Amino acid sequence: MPDAGAPHILPQDAAEETSYQQLMKHWMNERHAPDILPGQEVLLGKLLDHVRKQSDDVQLLRADPDSSEEEHFRIMLVQTEIERVKFVVRSYIRTRLHKIEKFARFIAATPEMHERLSKAELEHAKRYARLVEYHFNQTVLQSLPEEQRSLEDNVPFMPSMIPQPDKLRPVFVHARQACAPVRLPDGSALTMQKGQISLTPYYVIEQLLLRNEVELV
Amino acid sequence: MALPAPLRASVTPTELELIASEQLVEIVPLVAMERTAFISGAYGPLRPPSKCKVPIWMATNLKLKKKCRIVPPDWLNVEFLEERLVQETTGESFSEMPFRFAEVAKVLIDTAPDDFPNPDKIRSLLKDIREARQAKSREGLSKLDHSELSLPNLCSMEINEIRPFFIRAMGVLIDIIKDAQPQQDIA
Repeated sequence: MPDAGAPHILPQDAAEETSYQQLMKHWMNERHAPDILPGQEVLLGKLLDHVRKQSDDVQLLRADPDSSEEEHFRIMLVQTEIERVKFVVRSYIRTRLHKIEKFARFIAATPEMHERLSKAELEHAKRYARLVEYHFNQTVLQSLPEEQRSLEDNVPFMPSMIPQPDKLRPVFVHARQACAPVRLPDGSALTMQKGQISLTPYYVIEQLLLRNEVELV
Repeated sequence: MALPAPLRASVTPTELELIASEQLVEIVPLVAMERTAFISGAYGPLRPPSKCKVPIWMATNLKLKKKCRIVPPDWLNVEFLEERLVQETTGESFSEMPFRFAEVAKVLIDTAPDDFPNPDKIRSLLKDIREARQAKSREGLSKLDHSELSLPNLCSMEINEIRPFFIRAMGVLIDIIKDAQPQQDIA
């Protein structure tokens, strides 16, 4: 780690990632990616168990009337950390929820998206999509002429009626390791070195991101 | 809404500070504490006056209660920053800085100015470095095309600053190319 001579520019680089660090990475990826990334259910479960355990320990220590000032102090620090972890968990889930609602009808119609969502998320996406369609029908569409009622028209030069992830959107990507070459839209190849930062359309690095070779920053 | 509108386009500087605050910093504790298991790992034991490494959030927490002194990281001092400023103003490329230097420097200097030998000088150097680098990222915009822009040594806070504009600009270039060659399937 960081003790080697010159000022360490990249601390916490060699160390193994903890679950919390992994979640923070997934949180940032999710925030920056235009598409919905595979859900991290196992990781979330592990972290939430840990949070629960820490909270229980805090409760136990608190119940003890003869705890010293030093104990109070540790309790306060442990609680602070619990709140920090909860914040990241909450923000991660809300980010996904936002995308799920935005793309609900696309998700409902696209089986490949299903495996990236948890059971609860998928259920929500489908119900939300149904709800929106029902609402559109009830409020407006049913009073329109038959041929204008469709929610799936493909009008030339107009955006699709089913919003879907814009994979052309550029993202800032940071290589976590030397990456396999990818093809850029101008036809040339891009081979990212470890630590390299690039701005490039999302679809170019999508596979690298799913393989955890890069992260979004 | 699930995610408030201001958070959708980008992350906020405070969120970046939250992430940066997981990095470790050395402190000189003024109180003793047993080794304690946290979610991000076990820290301690704190035994004054020996140094100990803890996450920045913990260091600032202790500092605010006057229970530790923070040992400045070895890149956060006048000499190092002066040297970087020279590199920054003479060289064309971005000089190498810790990826989250802006966040770490702000959090540490704001909570513990008395632990730095010359906090005002450090602040003004950081500001100069920031400005020199900002000018360079603006120049980088002229190299923008529709496929890829490499940004060596750019730091987290700087990326966040240029993000909305660069993404929008590249998006426009992508649209132009897409419309120019519709027969080619680029997605």
